[in-house]
Amino acid sequence: MLIKLLKYDLKYMLKNMSVFYILSLFFAITTRLLSLPEQTIMLDILGKISSGCVIAMIANIVINTMMRSWIRFKESLYKDESYLTHTLPVTKSDIYNSKFIQTLIFFLIGFAVVLLSLFTAYYTPDAWTTIKEYIRTITIGFNMSTTFFVSIAVIVIFLELFNAIQCGFLGIIQGYKRNSGKVGFSVLYGFIIYLVAQTLVLGLVFAYGLFDPTVMELFKTGTISIDVNAFKTLAIIASILYVVIILSMSVICKRVLRKGVNVE
Amino acid sequence: MEFIFDNNIPIYIQLLDYMKIYLISGVFKCGEKLPSVREFATTFNVNPNTMQKALAELENMDLIYTERTNGKYVTKDEKLIEKLKDEYAVTLAKSYFQGMKRIGLGKAESIKYLEGIEE
Amino acid sequence: MEFLEIKNLSKKFDEKCVLNDINLNLSSGKIIGLLGKNGAGKTTLIKLINDLLTPTSGAIFVKGNKIGVETKKIISYLPERTYLNNQMKVKEIFRYFEDFYDDFDIQKAMRLLKDLDLDENQSLSKMSKGMKEKVQLVLVLSREAELYILDEPLGGVDPATRDYILDTILSNFNENASVIISTHLIADIERILDEAVFIDKGRIVLQGDTDDLRRQENASIDEIFRRMFKC
Repeated sequence: MLIKLLKYDLKYMLKNMSVFYILSLFFAITTRLLSLPEQTIMLDILGKISSGCVIAMIANIVINTMMRSWIRFKESLYKDESYLTHTLPVTKSDIYNSKFIQTLIFFLIGFAVVLLSLFTAYYTPDAWTTIKEYIRTITIGFNMSTTFFVSIAVIVIFLELFNAIQCGFLGIIQGYKRNSGKVGFSVLYGFIIYLVAQTLVLGLVFAYGLFDPTVMELFKTGTISIDVNAFKTLAIIASILYVVIILSMSVICKRVLRKGVNVE
Repeated sequence: MEFIFDNNIPIYIQLLDYMKIYLISGVFKCGEKLPSVREFATTFNVNPNTMQKALAELENMDLIYTERTNGKYVTKDEKLIEKLKDEYAVTLAKSYFQGMKRIGLGKAESIKYLEGIEE
Repeated sequence: MEFLEIKNLSKKFDEKCVLNDINLNLSSGKIIGLLGKNGAGKTTLIKLINDLLTPTSGAIFVKGNKIGVETKKIISYLPERTYLNNQMKVKEIFRYFEDFYDDFDIQKAMRLLKDLDLDENQSLSKMSKGMKEKVQLVLVLSREAELYILDEPLGGVDPATRDYILDTILSNFNENASVIISTHLIADIERILDEAVFIDKGRIVLQGDTDDLRRQENASIDEIFRRMFKC
């Protein structure tokens, strides 16, 4: 049943997100075409506009992936559509898991489209070299490989955003337990839960620091450029902590849902 | 035919009435197999349970009988149907006279009115 | 074992008691009218049976099962509001139902849709509220369910459709299925009811066989209802 639920959740997201994906790629292509050498001022201006559109669409993809996930979650579980969702012969866990996986998948798709757009619009061998060198100067300082740096940075950002989305889910679940001011309280609870999650990550890193003096140095001096190994450890620990927090929060969400809902 | 039911009277009693008329007028003849409860319910546009109740009542009165697995049949006893017809006619006549009485007409006058009506 | 068993069921919103210690047993193969004024607690009771609300206390069993996946498989529910996703077409929703409910009969759905003059290729967003309600009715009646729960199915429809709905409920009905119909339009529906359950201020005030009630009170169910709840 999870697969069936997921099928419809993905369909819905694709229907609502594809316009941004298409526009983003479309403007990326026009930007590329308009940046060909030997062009008039007019075309140059159009190129600048098109380039601005690429950036706008990328921002749209990021924001809409988050907003749509939340809206879809709220609509399926608590608004009119919930009359169908909760009467389907499926478990509450499956309903939640489907939303969870759907969000994960659309994060990955969004990420891929953003990269593809940037590549299409702006890739030149020179630019590539510049970026590589820029990253190189950072990674040499930290004594780590470029691949490692890039992947750990992407993973941390990805987990951080995903954590934020799930905090929103839990916020909605808690907010909709109330009899009034549901939306307001959902936002408030979501924000509180997010702060708690972030504090928890920080607290646990600090706790780890008690056993690892190099990490502890970060808390004492407040700068990152202290120790090479400390950054590495920190990034890995943060990733693990995020995964743990994301998974345990989803367990909490499912447990609360299983106790039953009260829709309007 | 449109069946009209009066919500003030138990529906099965009204169904019973319709069925009696069917039997008296020979829509279903002696010994003839009756349609199923479902078919009847669809014709009368009523709940099958209510139809079932009406048929059970007819069966209690021996006007119909159930042949195991085969369905329901009208009684083979023609006298019974005759008797039913007789009873029904009496009831109708009574209600006619009652109505006439209410407007102050006696039996003899009432009959005169009956004779005056062309069929 | 009773088909539907409700034990000491109460539901409070904040401090307001909407259902108060309801006890109800219904056997299968019956058409049951859940009758009450607006705000009597009909919809709350129905939402509790459909897992849309969580009881404050008490429990509900359908064929001995607590409300959950097993009960949802055999209950076909028509809510009093439209719940369909506007982005979908009618035939997409049919497929959706076919995906989730093993007992959904798409051929029957197509037939009913045609009877009601609706088009399977039409998108929900282009339909009026009345049309959407008809689509939902088609969905609900096209399931081969064991319990149909229809919340105010006659509310916003024209008399012709009202007759069609009652006919469809009757022709759909079989001895293995039960139907619960909530309504305050009693006169329209009472001829098809086996049983009537009167609900007022969150309590069941009268329950019985409709023909028995008619005979005892020498009046229609509608009339009994009016007498009982005279303002």
